[in-house]
Amino acid sequence: MASIAREFSPRYECHRDDLVSIDVSGLERVFLRRSVLDTREGDGPSASGVGAGPHASQKNPARSVWRVIGEELRREAASRRVRVHVAVAGSRMAALVLAHARPGVTIVEPDGEAGALAPLAIGILEKVIDDRPQTSDVRLQTFAALKRWGLKTLGELAALPSADLASRLGRQALVWQAIARGDDVRPLVPTLEEERFESSMELEWPIEGLEPLSFVLTRLLEPLSTRLERRDRGAAVLHVLLRLVTKDVHARRLELPVPMRDVRALRTLALLDLESHPPAGAIDRVAIVIDPTPGRVLQHTLFTRAQPTPEQVSTLLARLGALMGQDRLGAPATVDSDRPGAFAMMPFATEHHHDQRRTRGTRREQDEQDSALRQAQGIPSVSRDAGSAGSALNVVSALRRCRQPVPARVAIDNGRPVRVTTDRRGFVGGTVVNCAGPWRTSGNWWADRADGADRAGGAGGAGVSNAAGPTHLPHQPHQPYWNRDEWDVALNDGAVYRIFQDRDSEAWFIDAIVD
Amino acid sequence: MPLARADLESLLRTRRLDRTLTTALPPLDPAGLPDEYVCAPTGHTALDARLGGGFPRGQLSEIVGPRSSGRTSLLLQMLAAATARGELVALVDALDMLDVASADAAGVQLDRLLWVRGHVVSNPGMCRDLNQRAVEQAIRAFTLVLQAGNFGIVAFDAGEAPMDAIRRLPFTTWMRLQRLIEGSQTTGVLVGSESMARSSAGLTLKLGIRNLECGMRGIRFRPRLFEGVDIEARVVRARARAHEDVRVSLSTTCA
Repeated sequence: MASIAREFSPRYECHRDDLVSIDVSGLERVFLRRSVLDTREGDGPSASGVGAGPHASQKNPARSVWRVIGEELRREAASRRVRVHVAVAGSRMAALVLAHARPGVTIVEPDGEAGALAPLAIGILEKVIDDRPQTSDVRLQTFAALKRWGLKTLGELAALPSADLASRLGRQALVWQAIARGDDVRPLVPTLEEERFESSMELEWPIEGLEPLSFVLTRLLEPLSTRLERRDRGAAVLHVLLRLVTKDVHARRLELPVPMRDVRALRTLALLDLESHPPAGAIDRVAIVIDPTPGRVLQHTLFTRAQPTPEQVSTLLARLGALMGQDRLGAPATVDSDRPGAFAMMPFATEHHHDQRRTRGTRREQDEQDSALRQAQGIPSVSRDAGSAGSALNVVSALRRCRQPVPARVAIDNGRPVRVTTDRRGFVGGTVVNCAGPWRTSGNWWADRADGADRAGGAGGAGVSNAAGPTHLPHQPHQPYWNRDEWDVALNDGAVYRIFQDRDSEAWFIDAIVD
Repeated sequence: MPLARADLESLLRTRRLDRTLTTALPPLDPAGLPDEYVCAPTGHTALDARLGGGFPRGQLSEIVGPRSSGRTSLLLQMLAAATARGELVALVDALDMLDVASADAAGVQLDRLLWVRGHVVSNPGMCRDLNQRAVEQAIRAFTLVLQAGNFGIVAFDAGEAPMDAIRRLPFTTWMRLQRLIEGSQTTGVLVGSESMARSSAGLTLKLGIRNLECGMRGIRFRPRLFEGVDIEARVVRARARAHEDVRVSLSTTCA
């Protein structure tokens, strides 16, 4: 229906999939010549079709013009295999009601809307008025009241005194009465076609580097950004289409984490992406297509600290990704595993909200659970708050984890390590002054080792962890299982290490540095 | 008529030349009280009190010390305090040695931590240039995060990095970074085994294990359990307190 309406007038409003009202005022000049020809030839207007309600002006041209417009509408719909009711009236609501009530083409004389509507059954209003849930109860009650009053036609409803009607049935009844009289209850709100945001430029001379391309991108993005701003839209996806001198098209698609329309941010993201995926040849045409999405509404506050905007964070992440590799940055996350050093890398969110109270509450609950668990196991309790923000008197001891454990030689005396040495530069080693352990830990031994090796290798091997394969493998990454005895040792040079002996190979490694 | 010292400092601040003087004072709030918009509190009460509120914002500060001297523990404490205030923090981990469980135990809100994992290796073998390139890459990442702005704390952790690779960096690197950060609300923190930024540094905190010579009593053990380390923190360089000897005792405790 919308496409049919679009053929006739840019001012149309889609009410439902099968109901549309068109403002045909001003179309009389277009159809006047055809009207005259039709009159001369003596072709009587046919009457058939389904319902679109046009909004005609009440004055001026001859009635036959409106009939011609109605016939054209019906013919256009028929060519698309759609049967329509068409009604042309001086008000939008009258046309809508008549299109529902009468088949074919209905033309209403100027100022004759009330008369045309009067004989119609009052039940027709149910089809016209919107059926939003919040109004349905009111509508049913009002209809029941009208039936109790014995009203059967729109004419009878229109004839009631407005003030008395409103005092008995409320404002909704006045709306119905206005419709019954053929008055518009609100103006036509044109349905706007979804605007395409695209821009392109043919280059007289092909460009090869990214630097000249950045100027072209800026020139293309600036008007697009202005249009997005006018429409209160942001870019959800940025398509960069580069036609090369080889006639190939180098297409890149950037999904943006948040709707944005800042030219610098968009240009930088596009250039960084093209740095990683450069075109195969010189460029002779550049096109930008933006998939729009509703703009982001930000309510700033005076009481929170300024944070990087999503545009800044997105640009930063793109730059860092190009520099370090996408798998080398993100937000760390813990995983539900006892594997030493296990962690996950999550994408760093571009938007953060100030919700400290919830986090603290959750952490406190977790502390209480940890404390209860420690007491049950006879382990001295350490409050997380003691080492966290705000109330700190102690600092929580931290580890520096060796992603690849350092092979070590450990001398044992009486079942305890007495000397630790390595060949690794920077790890001098020395005599063990004090030690604690052993703490035996093992896990995942139930997994099929061959399958696990394949999985670990497929996940990226050593030093790579991501959201898809969150478990980081600190020791022999091709093995998904671990079985070790851990010791904390203080050496005579003042360094404290966490070392372990792999129980399968009986080899010793430095796993972490207490720092 | 000779200008008073306060007038002179005010004029220098107006021209943004105050940071060129080693004795220049950081801007203080009107009440003269420590303000978290001037300093980033570490979260350790005693240390914050002695540092005048914490590490100065808009300056490149350092936490230096030997292995196991509590550098990482203090850094994570700072990050935890910052994320608890709702700030975003970033850690450029040159050697990729962050222990996520330790960060979580310290109270860092991990979703507010941007972690950039470097490629520096502790044992480059014959490829000596490998680490040099990796350190330069990590410095570039550090620069990018500082340029982005509005992070509460941006830390560069090169605690276990070979010092020869750090020393080979042009000295202007640190001056450039200092110029980049000054005037902003970001606290830049360098973590290393010895001072890197030197005269470009705003505050240099040197950590060491207490009573290391006296039978290593600073490293506390229980039977079958490592308990923690007693640390002494000393301010060896500070623009705000050039001649003041600040020493603070800290203790780390295993979570």
